[in-house]
Amino acid sequence: MTAVPTAHPIPRPSFGAGVIGAIPISLGYLPIAFSFGVAATRAGLTGAEAVMLSVVIYAGAAQFLALALLISGAPLLVAAFTLIAMNIRHVLYGPALLERAGRDVDTGHAWAWAFGLTDEVFGTALGALARGQRFSQAFMFGLGLTAYLSWIIGTAVGAWAGGGALNGYPALEAGLGFMLPALFLALLLSILSGAQIPVILVAGVCTVAMTLIASSTWGILAGMVSGALVGLFRKVAR
Amino acid sequence: MNLGLLIMAVCVGLATWGFRFGPTKIDLSAMPSDGWLARFLASTGPAAIATLFVASILPMVQGFGGPNLPLFIGIASVLGCYAFSRSVVMSTLAGSVAYGVVFWIVARPGLL
Repeated sequence: MTAVPTAHPIPRPSFGAGVIGAIPISLGYLPIAFSFGVAATRAGLTGAEAVMLSVVIYAGAAQFLALALLISGAPLLVAAFTLIAMNIRHVLYGPALLERAGRDVDTGHAWAWAFGLTDEVFGTALGALARGQRFSQAFMFGLGLTAYLSWIIGTAVGAWAGGGALNGYPALEAGLGFMLPALFLALLLSILSGAQIPVILVAGVCTVAMTLIASSTWGILAGMVSGALVGLFRKVAR
Repeated sequence: MNLGLLIMAVCVGLATWGFRFGPTKIDLSAMPSDGWLARFLASTGPAAIATLFVASILPMVQGFGGPNLPLFIGIASVLGCYAFSRSVVMSTLAGSVAYGVVFWIVARPGLL
């Protein structure tokens, strides 16, 4: 009897693979979270309050905006609505990721791993899928948890160190500050295809235009939506 | 701990979690693979990453008086390393190190 060859599908990535995949995110998060911790204590928050914001909100730009709003004396209700509006862009990430992952993926624990679906985690997960990796919730947990812990640790160290901790090392501060732009560019290269170029160009131009006209928040929203709308006029690219 | 700050953080945190988790429960199985929603979602990822890249370098471009040599070298290092290694991790680290080194060289008076 001839043995029937069995198919060996690509294995689903593990929790550990997610932890390793989160290394560049963590390297980028640590200095930014550190800066947030420093800024929060400068704004008059205690170290515990700074860490609480990172633990509970876990959205970098929104947290910095929260500080600005609190310093300006905005009422907490107004601040809350502003920050919620700022984070609404995240509604696109889950469906975009799962659309790429395929129709039959298990999302039973999405209530937990989706908490960590930040801009960078989304970009890294999407890049991995675009490079042929399969979707797995364990990978998402590894990716999200590592990034989350980096964010909290960075905040705590920044709040503990206080203002001016990196003042003596401007080149180190600059290099760390370029970590996230470098990560976004590398992720962009990893998912780049000819069909995506119009999407990327329109997103970039609209981001610059709306940032200059209105604000960076509107720029980000306009860039994402306009780029995605360009996709309506082309075939689905895989 | 300021109770008002805690309540605000919990409200924002819950809403953000809802934005991230809620849409993962949308049933995509009935969606035509070449339909308008599929095309929109397939373009959302590249559009989002391109947007975040542009938004992250824009303050660097705006805050620099002349040509931003560290930024130029940093971007070139990411592109060069990715072309060579196809590794997101290595490219990110290479760009960051190159940016920091060039920043250090440019910032030293009389060195450049």
